[in-house]
Amino acid sequence: MIQFAYDPATNPLNNNEWAFPLLECIHIAGFALSIGTIALVDLRVLGLAFRGQPSPVLAKTLAPWTLVGLAIMLITGPLIFSSDPNMYLRNISFRFKMGALLAAIIYHYTLHRWAVFREPAPAIGKVVAVFSLGLWVSVVAGGLFIAFF
Amino acid sequence: MSLLSLCQSIQSIGFLTDIRESAMVYPVIMTTHLSCIALFGGMILMTDMRLLGFALKKYTVTEVVGGLRPWKRVGFCIMITMGLLLAGSEAEKYYHNPYFWVKMCLLLAVGVHALIFRPSVYNRTEEIDRAPALPARAKAAGALSLIIWCGVLTFGRLIGYYEGEKPQAPNAQAQVIAAPLKN
Repeated sequence: MIQFAYDPATNPLNNNEWAFPLLECIHIAGFALSIGTIALVDLRVLGLAFRGQPSPVLAKTLAPWTLVGLAIMLITGPLIFSSDPNMYLRNISFRFKMGALLAAIIYHYTLHRWAVFREPAPAIGKVVAVFSLGLWVSVVAGGLFIAFF
Repeated sequence: MSLLSLCQSIQSIGFLTDIRESAMVYPVIMTTHLSCIALFGGMILMTDMRLLGFALKKYTVTEVVGGLRPWKRVGFCIMITMGLLLAGSEAEKYYHNPYFWVKMCLLLAVGVHALIFRPSVYNRTEEIDRAPALPARAKAAGALSLIIWCGVLTFGRLIGYYEGEKPQAPNAQAQVIAAPLKN
C-alpha cells in the first residue's frame, strides 16, 4: 500500500483553522457547477427541461461551465487530500469515490458525449442520461461517506 | 417554555432520536442534501449566471427561469425535508451553534430576495427578454442571489466545524490543575 512519507503537520492547510472548511466550500461550489450543469443536460436528454432546443445546443453552451467546475473540483480536491493523505488512502469511502470519479469523468467525455451530441438522438440516450446522474450522485455519496466510514 | 427546552423536546421525538443514533441514516440524509446542492444548487447558479448575462445566452430568461422553476420547487421540498430531519435530530446542538443561526438568517434573506425581485424580475421575464440589454434589476437579482447562496453554502458547511465553547472550559481547567501534579 502506498504511504506518503511526509508530515501533514507541516502543511499550511493544517495550520490555519479556516483553510480547510473554506477549501471544502469551494469544492462544493465547484461540483455544484460541474455536476449541476451535467445534470441539466441529462434532464434535457430525458425531455424534462430546456425542451425549446435540442440537447446538443444545451450541451455545447454548458460545456465550458462544466469544465470550469471540474477544474475547481480537481484543484481543491487534491489540496484537501494533501491535508492527510495516508488517512484518505486507507479510507474505503475515499477509494470508492476515486473509482467512481474516474469512471464518471471518462464516461462523461466518451459515451455520454456521444449520446448527447449524436443526431438523431440514439435510442439508449435516456439510459445514458440516467446512468450519468447515478454515477455523479455516487461520487458525491462517496465524498460524504469519507467522514463516516 | 424556552427555545432551548423546545429544541430538547424536538430532538427527543422517537424517529428523530433514531436518526441521531443511527450509523447509516444520518450520512444518507447528508448525501441526499449534498446531491441536491449539486443538482438544484447548479440550477440556481446557472439561473444567476443567465440573469447576469454570462451563461445560457442562447436561451431566453423566460426559458431559464420558467423552465427551471418546477425543478427548483422539487429541490426546495427535498431540501426542507432533509433540513428538518437533520436540524430536528440535533436540535439542541444546533441551538448553540452560531453558524446554524447565520445560515437560517441567510435563508431568510433568500425569502426577502424573492419578495423583492419576484414582482420586478422573476415574474416579468418576458419583458426582460424584449429589452435591448439585460436591465440592471435583473443583474442585481442574479448577483445578490449568487452572494446569498454562497453564504448559505459556506455557513452550512461551517455548522459542522463548531465545537462549542462550554465543553472545552472544564477540560482546560483540568489541564491547568493537572499540570503541576505531573511535575
